[in-house]
Amino acid sequence: MSLLSDELRAMIGTEVTYTAPEELGRAAIRYFAKAVGDDNPLYTDDAYAREHGLPGVVAPPTLICETNQYADVPPDADGYAGHDWHIDIPGSRKVRGGNAYTFHRHVRPDDVITATWRLEGATERRTSGGQDMLVVSSVATYTNQAGDLLCTNEETIIYVARKEDR
Amino acid sequence: MTAPRVTPGAEVPPLERTIDLRAMVAYAGATWDWHRLHYDPDYLAPRGLPAPVVDGQVFGALLAEQVQDWLGPRAFVRRLHFRFKNLVFAGETVRCVGRVTAVEGGVVQVEQRVLIIDGELPERVAVEPAGAEIVLGGEAS
Repeated sequence: MSLLSDELRAMIGTEVTYTAPEELGRAAIRYFAKAVGDDNPLYTDDAYAREHGLPGVVAPPTLICETNQYADVPPDADGYAGHDWHIDIPGSRKVRGGNAYTFHRHVRPDDVITATWRLEGATERRTSGGQDMLVVSSVATYTNQAGDLLCTNEETIIYVARKEDR
Repeated sequence: MTAPRVTPGAEVPPLERTIDLRAMVAYAGATWDWHRLHYDPDYLAPRGLPAPVVDGQVFGALLAEQVQDWLGPRAFVRRLHFRFKNLVFAGETVRCVGRVTAVEGGVVQVEQRVLIIDGELPERVAVEPAGAEIVLGGEAS
Protein backbone atom coordinates (compact mmCIF):
# COMPACT_ATOMS: atom_id res chain seq x y z
CA MET A 1 0.00 0.00 0.00
CA SER A 2 1.39 3.38 -0.94
CA LEU A 3 1.56 5.94 1.85
CA LEU A 4 1.55 8.75 -0.69
CA SER A 5 -2.07 9.43 -1.56
CA ASP A 6 -3.25 11.43 -4.56
CA GLU A 7 -4.72 13.88 -2.08
CA LEU A 8 -1.35 14.50 -0.47
CA ARG A 9 0.39 14.62 -3.85
CA ALA A 10 -2.00 17.39 -4.87
CA MET A 11 -1.07 19.40 -1.77
CA ILE A 12 2.62 19.63 -2.66
CA GLY A 13 3.51 23.25 -3.33
CA THR A 14 0.78 24.57 -1.03
CA GLU A 15 1.67 27.64 0.98
CA VAL A 16 0.10 29.12 4.07
CA THR A 17 1.04 32.40 5.74
CA TYR A 18 0.60 33.47 9.35
CA THR A 19 1.33 36.91 10.75
CA ALA A 20 1.71 37.46 14.48
CA PRO A 21 -0.85 39.82 16.00
CA GLU A 22 1.88 41.63 17.95
CA GLU A 23 5.63 42.17 18.26
CA LEU A 24 7.64 39.20 19.51
CA GLY A 25 8.34 41.10 22.72
CA ARG A 26 11.01 41.14 25.39
CA ALA A 27 9.00 38.97 27.78
CA ALA A 28 8.65 36.19 25.17
CA ILE A 29 12.41 36.26 24.65
CA ARG A 30 13.21 36.17 28.37
CA TYR A 31 10.64 33.41 28.95
CA PHE A 32 12.12 31.22 26.21
CA ALA A 33 15.70 31.70 27.45
CA LYS A 34 14.61 30.90 31.00
CA ALA A 35 12.65 27.81 29.90
CA VAL A 36 15.66 26.44 28.02
CA GLY A 37 18.00 27.31 30.88
CA ASP A 38 20.11 29.64 28.74
CA ASP A 39 21.40 32.49 30.93
CA ASN A 40 23.23 34.39 28.16
CA PRO A 41 22.73 38.12 28.93
CA LEU A 42 22.39 38.84 25.18
CA TYR A 43 18.75 37.86 25.66
CA THR A 44 17.96 39.93 28.75
CA ASP A 45 20.47 42.77 29.20
CA ASP A 46 20.35 45.67 26.71
CA ALA A 47 23.60 47.21 27.94
CA TYR A 48 25.45 43.91 27.55
CA ALA A 49 24.01 43.37 24.07
CA ARG A 50 25.05 46.89 23.03
CA GLU A 51 28.59 46.29 24.31
CA HIS A 52 28.75 43.42 21.86
CA GLY A 53 27.60 45.26 18.77
CA LEU A 54 23.85 44.71 18.89
CA PRO A 55 21.15 47.38 19.14
CA GLY A 56 19.72 45.76 22.28
CA VAL A 57 18.57 42.35 23.47
CA VAL A 58 17.95 39.72 20.80
CA ALA A 59 16.12 36.41 20.76
CA PRO A 60 17.90 33.07 21.14
CA PRO A 61 18.30 31.90 17.53
CA THR A 62 15.85 29.00 17.52
CA LEU A 63 12.97 30.81 19.26
CA ILE A 64 11.49 32.12 16.03
CA CYS A 65 11.37 28.58 14.60
CA GLU A 66 9.83 27.07 17.72
CA THR A 67 7.20 29.49 18.84
CA ASN A 68 3.60 29.19 17.75
CA GLN A 69 3.02 32.80 18.78
CA TYR A 70 2.52 33.85 15.17
CA ALA A 71 0.05 31.11 14.31
CA ASP A 72 -2.92 32.08 16.47
CA VAL A 73 -4.82 28.87 15.63
CA PRO A 74 -7.03 26.92 18.05
CA PRO A 75 -5.51 23.82 19.67
CA ASP A 76 -6.25 20.48 17.96
CA ALA A 77 -7.29 17.27 19.78
CA ASP A 78 -3.65 16.70 20.80
CA GLY A 79 -3.46 20.19 22.27
CA TYR A 80 -1.23 21.45 19.47
CA ALA A 81 -1.82 25.06 18.45
CA GLY A 82 0.71 25.65 15.70
CA HIS A 83 1.03 25.28 11.97
CA ASP A 84 0.06 21.82 10.72
CA TRP A 85 -0.77 20.46 7.28
CA HIS A 86 -3.33 18.06 8.83
CA ILE A 87 -1.99 15.18 6.79
CA ASP A 88 -3.77 12.00 7.84
CA ILE A 89 -2.12 8.77 6.72
CA PRO A 90 -4.08 5.77 8.00
CA GLY A 91 -1.94 2.95 9.40
CA SER A 92 1.04 5.15 10.08
CA ARG A 93 2.57 6.97 13.00
CA LYS A 94 4.05 10.41 12.72
CA VAL A 95 7.58 11.11 13.94
CA ARG A 96 9.82 14.16 13.67
CA GLY A 97 12.78 13.79 11.32
CA GLY A 98 14.74 16.94 11.91
CA ASN A 99 15.24 20.58 11.05
CA ALA A 100 17.74 22.75 9.23
CA TYR A 101 17.68 26.42 10.10
CA THR A 102 19.36 29.30 8.28
CA PHE A 103 19.48 32.52 10.26
CA HIS A 104 19.84 35.78 8.35
CA ARG A 105 20.00 38.15 11.29
CA HIS A 106 19.25 38.27 15.00
CA VAL A 107 15.56 38.52 15.79
CA ARG A 108 14.68 41.50 17.96
CA PRO A 109 11.82 42.18 20.39
CA ASP A 110 10.15 44.66 18.01
CA ASP A 111 9.99 42.22 15.09
CA VAL A 112 6.45 41.25 14.09
CA ILE A 113 6.85 37.79 12.65
CA THR A 114 5.27 36.50 9.49
CA ALA A 115 5.79 32.80 8.81
CA THR A 116 5.11 31.32 5.39
CA TRP A 117 4.99 27.53 5.30
CA ARG A 118 5.37 25.67 2.01
CA LEU A 119 4.77 21.94 1.60
CA GLU A 120 7.90 21.14 -0.34
CA GLY A 121 7.63 17.44 -1.11
CA ALA A 122 6.76 13.91 -0.03
CA THR A 123 9.00 10.94 -0.80
CA GLU A 124 8.37 7.26 -0.17
CA ARG A 125 11.27 5.41 1.42
CA ARG A 126 11.91 2.35 3.56
CA THR A 127 13.34 2.32 7.08
CA SER A 128 16.44 0.28 7.90
CA GLY A 129 14.01 -2.14 9.58
CA GLY A 130 12.09 -2.61 6.32
CA GLN A 131 9.06 -0.48 7.21
CA ASP A 132 7.52 1.72 4.53
CA MET A 133 7.73 5.38 5.34
CA LEU A 134 6.82 8.69 3.83
CA VAL A 135 9.17 11.62 4.28
CA VAL A 136 7.34 14.94 4.13
CA SER A 137 9.43 18.10 3.86
CA SER A 138 8.27 21.66 4.47
CA VAL A 139 10.02 25.00 4.47
CA ALA A 140 9.04 27.92 6.67
CA THR A 141 10.29 31.38 5.78
CA TYR A 142 10.17 34.01 8.51
CA THR A 143 10.08 37.73 7.77
CA ASN A 144 9.23 40.84 9.79
CA GLN A 145 6.94 43.82 9.24
CA ALA A 146 9.60 45.58 7.11
CA GLY A 147 9.93 42.52 4.88
CA ASP A 148 13.36 41.63 6.31
CA LEU A 149 14.20 37.96 5.84
CA LEU A 150 14.93 36.60 9.32
CA CYS A 151 15.23 32.85 8.95
CA THR A 152 14.30 29.75 6.99
CA ASN A 153 13.43 26.41 8.55
CA GLU A 154 13.46 23.17 6.58
CA GLU A 155 11.47 20.60 8.50
CA THR A 156 11.14 16.88 7.93
CA ILE A 157 8.23 14.85 9.27
CA ILE A 158 8.17 11.09 8.76
CA TYR A 159 5.10 8.84 8.60
CA VAL A 160 6.13 5.27 9.37
CA ALA A 161 3.79 2.39 8.46
CA ARG A 162 2.69 0.45 11.54
CA LYS A 163 3.89 -3.16 11.67
CA GLU A 164 0.48 -4.60 12.52
CA ASP A 165 -1.01 -3.07 9.40
CA ARG A 166 1.31 -4.85 7.03
CA MET B 1 38.26 34.11 30.08
CA THR B 2 40.76 32.77 27.58
CA ALA B 3 39.86 32.79 23.89
CA PRO B 4 38.63 29.42 22.67
CA ARG B 5 40.96 27.37 20.47
CA VAL B 6 39.03 27.31 17.22
CA THR B 7 40.87 24.95 14.91
CA PRO B 8 39.74 21.85 13.04
CA GLY B 9 39.42 18.97 15.45
CA ALA B 10 39.00 21.20 18.51
CA GLU B 11 36.38 20.01 20.95
CA VAL B 12 33.41 22.24 21.74
CA PRO B 13 32.95 22.24 25.53
CA PRO B 14 30.03 19.89 26.27
CA LEU B 15 26.74 21.27 27.52
CA GLU B 16 24.74 19.11 29.93
CA ARG B 17 21.19 19.67 31.07
CA THR B 18 18.60 17.69 32.96
CA ILE B 19 15.19 18.26 31.43
CA ASP B 20 12.59 17.72 34.12
CA LEU B 21 8.85 18.10 33.76
CA ARG B 22 8.98 21.64 35.11
CA ALA B 23 11.44 22.66 32.38
CA MET B 24 9.27 20.92 29.79
CA VAL B 25 6.14 22.75 30.91
CA ALA B 26 8.09 26.02 30.84
CA TYR B 27 9.27 25.28 27.30
CA ALA B 28 5.77 24.34 26.18
CA GLY B 29 4.50 27.65 27.54
CA ALA B 30 7.35 29.70 26.10
CA THR B 31 6.77 28.26 22.61
CA TRP B 32 2.95 28.22 22.69
CA ASP B 33 3.12 24.47 22.13
CA TRP B 34 0.58 22.71 24.33
CA HIS B 35 0.86 19.26 22.73
CA ARG B 36 -0.22 16.69 25.32
CA LEU B 37 2.74 14.45 24.45
CA HIS B 38 4.86 16.73 26.60
CA TYR B 39 2.92 16.52 29.89
CA ASP B 40 -0.38 14.56 29.89
CA PRO B 41 -0.38 11.01 31.39
CA ASP B 42 -3.81 10.30 29.85
CA TYR B 43 -2.32 10.91 26.43
CA LEU B 44 0.84 8.88 27.06
CA ALA B 45 -0.54 5.69 28.63
CA PRO B 46 -2.61 4.38 25.67
CA ARG B 47 0.37 5.04 23.40
CA GLY B 48 2.73 2.96 25.52
CA LEU B 49 4.94 5.91 26.40
CA PRO B 50 6.54 5.59 29.85
CA ALA B 51 6.83 9.31 30.58
CA PRO B 52 6.24 12.72 28.99
CA VAL B 53 8.34 13.17 25.85
CA VAL B 54 10.74 16.11 25.65
CA ASP B 55 9.99 18.43 22.74
CA GLY B 56 12.84 17.64 20.33
CA GLN B 57 13.21 21.26 19.35
CA VAL B 58 14.70 21.91 22.81
CA PHE B 59 17.84 20.22 21.52
CA GLY B 60 18.09 22.80 18.74
CA ALA B 61 18.10 25.48 21.41
CA LEU B 62 20.76 23.62 23.40
CA LEU B 63 22.98 23.08 20.35
CA ALA B 64 22.80 26.82 19.59
CA GLU B 65 23.53 27.66 23.23
CA GLN B 66 26.53 25.31 23.25
CA VAL B 67 28.30 27.04 20.36
CA GLN B 68 27.22 30.58 21.36
CA ASP B 69 28.58 30.08 24.89
CA TRP B 70 31.84 28.80 23.49
CA LEU B 71 32.45 31.38 20.79
CA GLY B 72 31.16 34.38 22.70
CA PRO B 73 28.54 37.09 22.34
CA ARG B 74 29.80 38.45 19.01
CA ALA B 75 29.52 35.11 17.24
CA PHE B 76 26.46 34.68 15.03
CA VAL B 77 24.98 31.23 14.51
CA ARG B 78 24.12 31.27 10.79
CA ARG B 79 23.06 27.67 10.28
CA LEU B 80 21.92 24.89 12.56
CA HIS B 81 20.69 21.45 11.62
CA PHE B 82 19.72 18.35 13.59
CA ARG B 83 18.07 14.96 13.09
CA PHE B 84 16.25 13.05 15.80
CA LYS B 85 17.33 9.51 16.66
CA ASN B 86 15.61 8.60 19.93
CA LEU B 87 12.96 10.08 22.18
CA VAL B 88 14.05 11.72 25.42
CA PHE B 89 11.78 11.44 28.44
CA ALA B 90 11.05 13.76 31.34
CA GLY B 91 13.82 13.79 33.92
CA GLU B 92 16.56 12.56 31.62
CA THR B 93 19.90 14.32 31.28
CA VAL B 94 21.34 15.16 27.88
CA ARG B 95 24.88 16.11 26.91
CA CYS B 96 25.59 18.11 23.75
CA VAL B 97 29.02 17.30 22.34
CA GLY B 98 30.76 18.72 19.31
CA ARG B 99 33.97 19.39 17.46
CA VAL B 100 35.19 21.82 14.85
CA THR B 101 35.35 20.40 11.33
CA ALA B 102 36.49 23.50 9.41
CA VAL B 103 37.47 27.14 9.90
CA GLU B 104 37.68 29.46 6.92
CA GLY B 105 37.37 33.23 6.55
CA GLY B 106 36.02 33.69 10.07
CA VAL B 107 33.35 31.02 9.58
CA VAL B 108 33.43 27.96 11.81
CA GLN B 109 31.79 24.64 11.01
CA VAL B 110 30.96 22.43 13.95
CA GLU B 111 29.59 18.89 14.06
CA GLN B 112 27.47 18.06 17.08
CA ARG B 113 25.47 15.29 18.74
CA VAL B 114 23.09 15.06 21.67
CA LEU B 115 23.51 12.07 23.96
CA ILE B 116 21.23 10.86 26.73
CA ILE B 117 23.31 10.09 29.79
CA ASP B 118 21.53 8.32 32.54
CA GLY B 119 23.73 7.06 35.32
CA GLU B 120 24.26 3.35 34.97
CA LEU B 121 22.45 2.92 31.64
CA PRO B 122 24.49 3.02 28.44
CA GLU B 123 24.37 6.30 26.53
CA ARG B 124 21.64 6.65 23.93
CA VAL B 125 21.80 9.04 21.01
CA ALA B 126 19.02 11.64 20.98
CA VAL B 127 20.19 13.72 18.04
CA GLU B 128 22.60 12.81 15.24
CA PRO B 129 23.81 14.15 12.90
CA ALA B 130 23.71 17.78 13.90
CA GLY B 131 25.88 20.77 13.35
CA ALA B 132 26.23 24.51 13.13
CA GLU B 133 27.90 27.19 11.05
CA ILE B 134 28.99 30.21 13.04
CA VAL B 135 30.23 33.58 11.82
CA LEU B 136 32.78 34.75 14.38
CA GLY B 137 32.50 38.46 13.57
CA GLY B 138 28.72 38.67 13.93
CA GLU B 139 25.71 38.81 11.66
CA ALA B 140 26.88 41.74 9.53
CA SER B 141 30.33 40.37 8.77
